[in-house]
Formats: sequence, structure tokens, C-alpha cells
Amino acid sequence: MILPQFDVLVPETVNEACAMLAEHAEHGVRVLAGGTDLLVNLRRPIITQHVPRCDGCRTHPEGAVSSTIDCTMWESEPLMASGGSLRTLLRDQEKTSPEFLVSLHKLKELKNIRRSDDGGLRIGALTTLAEIQRSPEIRQDYTALAEGTDNLGSPLVRNRGTLGGNIVNARPAADAAVPTIGLGAMLTLHGKSGTRSVPAEGFPTAPGKTIIEPDELLTEIVYPLSPTYSGSAYYKLANRKALEISTVGVAVWVILEKPGGPVADVRVALGAVGPTPILAKSVPAVLIGKVPDKAAIAEAAEAAAGDCRPIDDHRGSAWYRVQMVEVLTGRLLKIAVERAGTTT
Amino acid sequence: MKKIISLTVNGVEHELAVEPRRSLLELLREDLGLTGTHKGCGIGDCGTCTVLVDGVATFSCLTLAIQVEGCSIETVESLAENGRLNELQQAFVDQGAIQCGFCTPGMLMTSTELLRRNPHPQEPEIRRAISGNLCRCTGYQKIVEAIKTVAGENDE
Amino acid sequence: MSDYKLLNTRAPRVDAVDKATGRAVYTDDLKRSGMLYAALLHSPLAHARILNIDTSRAQKLPGVKAVVTHHEAGIEPYGVSPARYDETIFCHDRVRYVGDEIAAVAAVDLDTALQAVSLIKVDFEELPLVLDGLTAMDEGQPQLHEMYEKNICAEVNWHFGDIEQGRKEADLIRTDRLTSKMQDAAFLEPQSVLAEVDSHGNLTMWSSTQAPHYVQRTLAMALKIPLHKVRVIKPAVGGGFGPKASCSTGELATCLLAMKTGKPVKLTFDREQVFLHSRARHQFFHTMTTGIKKDGTLSFLEHQCILDGGAYASFGIATVYYAGSLLGGPYRLKNMKYDGRRVVTNKPACGAQRGHGAVIARALFEVQLDRLAEELGMDPIELRLRNVMEAGETTCNELFVSSFGMREALEAVRDSATWRQKRSQAGRIRRNGKGIGAACGFFVSGAGYPIYRSQTYHCTVITKVDDVGGGVTVMSGAADIGQGSDTVLAMITAEELGLSLDDVKITSGDTALSVDLGAYSSRTTLMTGHACREAAQDVKRQILAAVGGRLGVPPETLDLRDGLVVSLAGDIDFSALREEYLKEHKGFRDLPSGPQLTFREASRIAFLELGSIVGTGKYKPPKLGGSFKGATVGTSPAFGCSAQIAEVNIDLETGEVTVDRITGAHDCGFAINMTQVEGQMQGSMMMGMGEALMEQVQYDQKGRIVNANLAEYKIPTSLDMPHLEAIVVESNEPHGPYGAKEVGEGAIMPVIPSILNAIYDATGVRIEELPITPERIIAALHAAKNALLDSK
Repeated sequence: MILPQFDVLVPETVNEACAMLAEHAEHGVRVLAGGTDLLVNLRRPIITQHVPRCDGCRTHPEGAVSSTIDCTMWESEPLMASGGSLRTLLRDQEKTSPEFLVSLHKLKELKNIRRSDDGGLRIGALTTLAEIQRSPEIRQDYTALAEGTDNLGSPLVRNRGTLGGNIVNARPAADAAVPTIGLGAMLTLHGKSGTRSVPAEGFPTAPGKTIIEPDELLTEIVYPLSPTYSGSAYYKLANRKALEISTVGVAVWVILEKPGGPVADVRVALGAVGPTPILAKSVPAVLIGKVPDKAAIAEAAEAAAGDCRPIDDHRGSAWYRVQMVEVLTGRLLKIAVERAGTTT
Repeated sequence: MKKIISLTVNGVEHELAVEPRRSLLELLREDLGLTGTHKGCGIGDCGTCTVLVDGVATFSCLTLAIQVEGCSIETVESLAENGRLNELQQAFVDQGAIQCGFCTPGMLMTSTELLRRNPHPQEPEIRRAISGNLCRCTGYQKIVEAIKTVAGENDE
Repeated sequence: MSDYKLLNTRAPRVDAVDKATGRAVYTDDLKRSGMLYAALLHSPLAHARILNIDTSRAQKLPGVKAVVTHHEAGIEPYGVSPARYDETIFCHDRVRYVGDEIAAVAAVDLDTALQAVSLIKVDFEELPLVLDGLTAMDEGQPQLHEMYEKNICAEVNWHFGDIEQGRKEADLIRTDRLTSKMQDAAFLEPQSVLAEVDSHGNLTMWSSTQAPHYVQRTLAMALKIPLHKVRVIKPAVGGGFGPKASCSTGELATCLLAMKTGKPVKLTFDREQVFLHSRARHQFFHTMTTGIKKDGTLSFLEHQCILDGGAYASFGIATVYYAGSLLGGPYRLKNMKYDGRRVVTNKPACGAQRGHGAVIARALFEVQLDRLAEELGMDPIELRLRNVMEAGETTCNELFVSSFGMREALEAVRDSATWRQKRSQAGRIRRNGKGIGAACGFFVSGAGYPIYRSQTYHCTVITKVDDVGGGVTVMSGAADIGQGSDTVLAMITAEELGLSLDDVKITSGDTALSVDLGAYSSRTTLMTGHACREAAQDVKRQILAAVGGRLGVPPETLDLRDGLVVSLAGDIDFSALREEYLKEHKGFRDLPSGPQLTFREASRIAFLELGSIVGTGKYKPPKLGGSFKGATVGTSPAFGCSAQIAEVNIDLETGEVTVDRITGAHDCGFAINMTQVEGQMQGSMMMGMGEALMEQVQYDQKGRIVNANLAEYKIPTSLDMPHLEAIVVESNEPHGPYGAKEVGEGAIMPVIPSILNAIYDATGVRIEELPITPERIIAALHAAKNALLDSK
């Protein structure tokens, strides 16, 4: 691997970082957090050659094209249409190498896990996935997030990769982003002109694309209070047990009125079954107000399967993915309900 | 374009002029001649380039040198003391955990991090800890056995 | 147990300390003053005519020292098999796969070299593609090479015994199919080359290779320089598993650039280039029809195979033969017919990989045995035991089996894995997600013939005693690529000379030292082991003759043990020799003082008598095999065999497979190093498991690899691998040194089928396409369910 030329800017504060992003937006600037995705995507291609209408190849500076696969490391990049080329999906910003990277490694204030005033949890965007995985508090109250990090990439990816990076990269299979959506988190975006808070599920818009403005930085992920009778779970389905991009990822969050039901609220988020992680919208209507027994859960699982719109790619067929959404949603609802019943 | 950074590598402080795009791996191998850290893929898929950055197992290929300014780096070359293998290295040698040896430095650094965090890991924790370090020769069996020896629970 | 001091022990590898400290030097660790960096221009198209190559912009880029294309390299074909020279160093008229090399650049740094490559302008005319091996032979398909009509690169038609007779005798006949995918060896060290030409025109190339000798020949031939002017040195190598046995364009181009520039030039493959260059396992399409009698006796095998070999022949001629020949064992099989065809397609060329040619054939045959056993209501291990060959037998394709622990291996895994308890009802399967499966394997212990026709010794070894006395240096061309052959040579030498391993220095992997055909076909322990033993014994004879002469005792009454000269005929007075030695070493500390003459003294005294003491050893197999066409492939001085049991746990709703345990037993004849034998077995289990469950090189419709990286080409991680139990069986091979034979490749043979059979036991469905992904299991379960519903 060889990286192209760029300069690295090292802000000392969040405001400085935003100012840098704003200043260089026109020349191509990218945010460097853990680097586990960005640096892979920026590498120079091995095959560089002028080709007559080589559709699907990535355009490279100097007019060359690359057949380097943009399989960003740990996340699914499903095809827009089955049979299409993987490379048609490249993010616009990758078509040209950035002149600047803004490296956030000095922003220690974005590296923390703390309780919010209302009893929820606030996680700094630069908190590593390993730190989240090892937090007993997260495992207790936000189990789906802890489980999302359990099999994300590998220990080395988790040591370096950040929660913010996993969300901003906006890969459809992002194992930490899916439970973040499932747990109903809000994202704090800090820009030159101020701060705004947006729901996690509306944040990604397409593979690699989000609603973030060029001068904005994701600074914090805020998880709502975990009520007494609530439980959550995540499962990553893949071909091997580490170093994997999910074939399907499912996160479930259940709040019961009391142990054994009925269901007060439920959220099911799905990864790798659409262009972004998605919320299974028809599940709450099926489950809320009902005792989460076998039949109700089966109905909810079926509803989740109906909500997803996966495609065929080299990691799995749409057919299989739909089946698995149903199987896993059913299993995870059962687990989450059990957890909700035993929460103290 | 080069930037001056300082960092500590294996206990020795270095001040170096590096291109912003220079990876920690390139810095170690090319600027400092520490070729024990290997490059198996360059994109964080194999773990052969693992070093410790402030005690954290890190793939040096996807870490820019600039990002570790002021940090303390440990590579495989730091493990032996006074020309003698440390306990973990000795276990790798004795248990047959080394074949082609290309994964070995990364494997040693990752297990060093593990054993510092938990001196007595059980087998599942060992397997989980090294799951980002690929080995194509051993089937991992003898590597796991070597780490278990050091973890002091190879008695079963 | 053995009387050996070192052999049959668990001595640590001689290179382990260097590898554990980061001191071991791999090719990419080498640096030369003034060294240039090379980059290759690969074809972005899978099949196209080259209309024009314009290197002018690249030539003008500051820092570029040389740009070479077919104009500089010439267009004389070369390759692995002399009858199939189908490659040129660079493409000149056509490109045949994405990655095919068109040009190379040497520049002051890699950045400049890569930039120069991107400035080379090539005009292509796209040609229609051939991507499917099964249809590559069809009428109307574009042809890749003029020399391969209908894209058939090699064809084998064998008939041993009498298939029709076998068919008549059979009580039960069934036909099954199995398809695999192209594999990547996924060794962790990407290929790397450093080449340099000295002032006398000698070309030296350091390379991450398995076969320095073959590479030396290819370089000399393709670059048109005399063989003796080419030296290939193999530093530490980070795994090979087959693909590093063939000379790569990277090696040729780097040497050419070094010759052109007069400077050292280095090229290290990016991981993506490892995939593009490939030369790894073919894609196989097997169909087998096997007949069996009611008592379980095999009556015949009729076998067809198509191999998708990618764009060039590489080692693939041997592959198509091996795919048929190695089913001759380990079972008594009188009648066998094999029709194999290797086709070329617009994908990277395939070659040898661990278990060369035989792995998928073995997988299907072992699956067939299980299916036949099920139909007969017989325990699958029992069925195998009824058919296994014994030592002294010859297969129907004339492979003589001189030692054979097949029965012992099969019984060992059966008992160790408590097969009977876990699978008590013969022929019944469980379908509850838990499964257990068994299989056997059979493999050569060194190819009987070199890849080029020659009477050459397959290896020579030179062992030189230090002139100053005390130790020895073993010089060998053998290639330690991580499998541990240096340790084997050191152990053999130390054993023969009564030395400690620390007093034996191994220099190897260098064509200047000796001829050795290299690390392939699991040949080194048996072949180089023989030569090494002979060289050590030669040294010993000379030392004892000289010392015996001085002492006035017959040399045969003396022996070398534990670093000492031992008299077998009572005490002898050696004080004169000691005095002489001490006189030479006034002022030295640590001088010999014990009651016996040391090797250090004896070897020095012998030098004073004889001058330099050099022992030599050599080995080539006797004439082996039958006289039919292609009879040489599959021949070997000895055959290894193995048995394995896999236990799996399958989630019947998601298809996820967990392998809980693999128990393997392998007959290696005699374990020179017990730890290393187990290590080879365990490594084989991992590679086989990956191939069974997750590994596949995937292409898009333009022939581009979509997973040319280790994230998406999935090899098992430590979490995927279960506990691997390795049982070593020793049958004392009469043709092997100390009774030793292979373990490096044979142990992979039973892995895939044992897993396939276990998955069947767990699910009740058979899957005919590898790898067995969770999705394939779910799809098969659905199909079975629907079939059941339809039938009701």
C-alpha cells in the first residue's frame, strides 16, 4: 500500500477542527480518526491504466483508473443493483485524493464515556470500539452496543477504530452504527456556526454518505436512558468469527411495562440489508402493547423481514438476508425480552 | 512538506522528519531499520505489523507517524532483555508456535498486550485476543498453547 | 523408543529465536546502497489485444531509471513444463487476465515508479472473455492461445484395470459431483525480489521463493544468460504453500531492470498483486462414479474432471495428472478410469498448492465412500478399513507403497475421537445440527521426477568441517519456507556427528551451494534428508579415519557421540593428540580437559592430517512408476497417508458452522521432529478447513477479482479454528532416511471431506459446491424441505 501525498492538520480543539474543515472544504479534506477505513480507501491503486470505457472502474487523478476493490474493511458495500460492479458505488469524495487530512488524535475531550443528566449515556466520538467493548456500564445498560463491538473487525480494529468513525463512515453493515440506531441514540454535530443534535437513524443517506455538513464534526453520541424493564441485543451474522463484514446485522431494543410484558416500546435496526443501516419501521406496531410471547415475536420478526430491502452481492444473496433478518430478529427479541425482565 | 515529530521507540527517544503520509510501519522499517515489524497486507487485514502504541496493540500500517507524536512505541525488538528471550518468546520457541515466522512479531505484540491486561487468560480469551493476527502455518494450535504456557494454565 | 539423541525429539527450530526477536531477514528487509524500486504495469482488462504501448511519458518522469516492455525483454516463450511454454516476460500482442504484466519501471523510489507506471499509455482492443471453465471448450468460445485448441491446455485419459468388469461386479453404483473455487495460498509474506548484477556480469537474485533451482533455470533461459551466471538466494520466507514454486514475472522483470540499470532493484508485491499473480489452487469440477460390492469392497472408479487453470499453464500440467493419479491409494482399487482436462480462461493462472491437484478429487471420493456406506448401512470407517492398502502393495496405476500406516491412522482417530460413542448407529445420520465425519488421504513423499526431463540428482548436500575444528557447516540448496527443513538438516547432521544443534550451522536456499529441486511435493525431508545424512556420514568417516590413523586404532572401533570421540574397543591413549591441540591454543580459555577426546580436538587433528574436510551427499529416486503416458506424475519413493475426524455444530436456522474439533492422524514414517510434524498437520487442517468453509477467489463479470485482500478472502482466524489434535503414526519407511517420509501436504487430504461428511451428519443435506457457506447450507435445507413437501 502506498498513500498519495497529502498534508495532515492537527487541531487542538473541536472548534479549530471545524474551522480547518471549513477552510479546506473546497480543496478536499477528510477527517482522520482511527484511520481503519480512511487510509485504506485513500491508498494508491495497483492497477493504473487508461482504458477505453472500462465501466465501473474508479477514476483516479491523472485520468487513470483503478481496479482496486473498494471493500472498505469491515462494512458491507452492497451493490445498487444485482450484477453491478462493486466499484460503481464509490463515494464522490474518494474520486479525488484529499489535499488535507484533519487528524483528531489530540482531541482527548472526545474520548470519554459519561452519564448524561437525564440518566442516559454520552459517548465521545473518538472513544475506541475497544473501550466501549470493555465498559461494564455499556454492557449492562446498552448491551446491543457492547455486542455490536464484540465482533467488529478484530481486536486490532477495535483498538484503533472509533465509535464516531464507524457511524460517520456510513457503511450499511457498520456493527456499532446498527445498535446505535436500534438504541435510539442522538448524534451531536458540531460545526462552525454551532451545534445540532440529530437522530442516528436519519444520519446516513447512502453508502458512505450522511447529512453531515462539510464543516461539521460528529462529537458525541447520546444514548437515551435505559428504563428499568428494558433489554437489548445485537447479532452479527458472517462467514467467519473475526475479521468480518456482516452478512446481516440485527439490533433489538425492548422496553417492557413490567417483567413478562406487555411491550412498552421496541426498536429493531438492521445492517447490510439496505444502502444504509435501517430501522425496521413496522415492528413497533406489531409488538407494542402485546405480551411478547412466541407468536407475537414471530409476527414481529416477519414484519422486520418485510421492512428490509437487501440486494445480492458477493457476501450473500438477498434471499438469504431476508430469511436471516427474520430468524435473527425473532431470536434477539426473545433474548432482549429476557434481559428486560431481569434488569434491576 | 516534512514535519518534525518526536516519539519513543523501544525506550529510545527519536526526533524525525517525516512526510505527513508516512505510516508508523514505514517509519519503523525504513527510517529506524526495525524490520522485525512486517508488512503482510498494508491495510489492516493481517496483523503482521502490530506494535504497541502506549501499550495498545496497534497496526502500524494504518497509523500515520504524525498520529503517534509523543507516544511510546514498542516493537518485537524490545522484548528480549540482555540478549535473552522473555518468557513469551521462549514459550513460542519451545512450543513450536513459530513456523514461517512472518506473523510471529505481531502475534507476540498482541499477546504481550493481552498478558499485561490479564496475566492469566483462559483459552477463549486468548483466541479472541489474537483473532486479528492471521497465521497460515500453525492452525493457531501451538500459538495458543504457547500463550497458555505463559498464562500458567496449561495444566489440564 | 529410538536410540537417537536428537531425532524423534521436540528440538526447537534452529531459526526460531531469530524469528521471535525480529532478527530473521526476509527479502523485503534487505536494502542495498543505491537501490532502485520497481513497479509493474498490470493489465486492467481480462482479454484484449495490445495495439500500442507508449512509454515516452514514463521515461521522461524525473527519477525513472528504466522502463522495460517486451521490446527489451523479448518474446521468447517460457513456462514451467517444457511442452507448454506459453508465457512471455511481458505481454506483447495480447493480455489474458486482469493483472497480466505489460511493463516494468525502475525508479529512485516506489512513488516515482508507481507514478511512471500510470503514465504508460496502452491502447487496447477489448476481446470477448472466457471466464467459465465448464464452457471454455465449447464451440464458438474465443481462444486464448493458438497452441491450445478449444482452450484445452492438457488432457489426460487413463484406464487402469477394467472398468466394465468392475461395473459388472458392483452391487451398488452411484455418481456424485463436487465443484470448488479458485483458491489463494494466502501466505503472509507477499513475494519480494531484490536483484543485482556484479562487475563480472553475475546476476544475484534474493527472492521469496520455494524453488531456487527452478527459478535459476527460468531466469537464465528467459533472460538469455548462462546458468552459472545466475545465483538465486532465498532469505527467510514467510510461507509458500505452492505458488512460490514457479518463477514470477516479478522476479524476471526485476532482474531485467537490474541488468538494464546496473543497480540493485527491489520489487515487493502488494497484497493485491499476490492475488493477481496467483499460481494457486485451480478450480475443479469433478464427477465420479464409484461401484462397490455388498461387503464393502470397492470395485471401480470412473472419474472425470475439468480444471479451470486461468490464463497460463504454470504447474497446471502436473495438476491435471495429480487430480487423477492420487486416487490410486489408499484403498485397494483395481479398476480406475480418469479423464481430465485442464482449460485456460481469462483469469490469473493457477498452479500448485498444498496437496497439489488431489485435494478436491480426494474430497469427492471420500464423500462418495460415505454415501455408499450409508446406502449399504455400513459404518463409514468400517467401510474404509475393509479397503485400505497395506505396505508392499501396488496401486492400479503402478504406485508402490513401501510403508503404509493407513489402518493404524484410521483406528487411531476413530478411538481418539470416540467415534463409536458419537456415531453409534452405523449408516444413520443425526440431522440435529451436531455432526461427525471421517475421511482418509494419500500423498506423495517427493515427486519421483523433476519438472524438466533430466537425470539430475534431486539434491546434493555439502557438509564442511570447520578448519579450526569444533563445528560443521551444512551447505544445501534446500528451501526452508517455514516448514522447518533447515531444522531437519541440522538435526540429521548433529545426530550423525554426535554434535549439539548449536555446533551445526545451516546455510541453505542458495543455488551457489548445491542443487536442490526445492520445497514442493513434500520432498525435502526424504530426499534432502538422505543427501544430508550421506554428507554427514562422509565427514564422520574422514574424521574417524584420520584420528584412528593417528591413534593407531581401526576407525571402525571409534564413534562420535555427545561431542566426543568414543572408543568401542576399550580405553585408548589419546594424550598425544590432546597435547598437540593444547600446544596450538596457548592462551585460549575453555580448552578440552575431560577424560575423552572431544570432537573439537578430533576435527582439528583431522584437518591437520587431511586439510579441509568436506563430506558430500546426493539423492535421486530410482526409476519409478509405469510406462503409460503421464506415468511419472504421482510417482514417489514413498507415500504418506492420513485419517481425520471432524466434529461440527451447525445452526440449522442460520447455517453457521462451528468446527468443534479436528482429530487427525498422519503416517510420516518417522518423525524427525515431533513438534514440526504436528505443526505441518495442524497447518494443513487450517488450510483445508478454510477451503471447505470460506475461502474462494471471487470474480466479477469482467474477470476482476472482487476480494483481492485478506479481509474478504477469508482464511480461518484463531476464533474459527477448533482444538486440533495431531496423532503421529510412524510406519518406518524403508526408502526414507531413518524411516521418514512426508507430512507437509498429505495431512490436508482428509480435512475437506471429513468436514463435508460431518456437515451431512449434522444436517442431512449434501452440498456439491465449495465453500460451504452458511447460505449454501440454508439453501440446501430449504431445497430438501421443498422436495419433501413435493413428494407428499
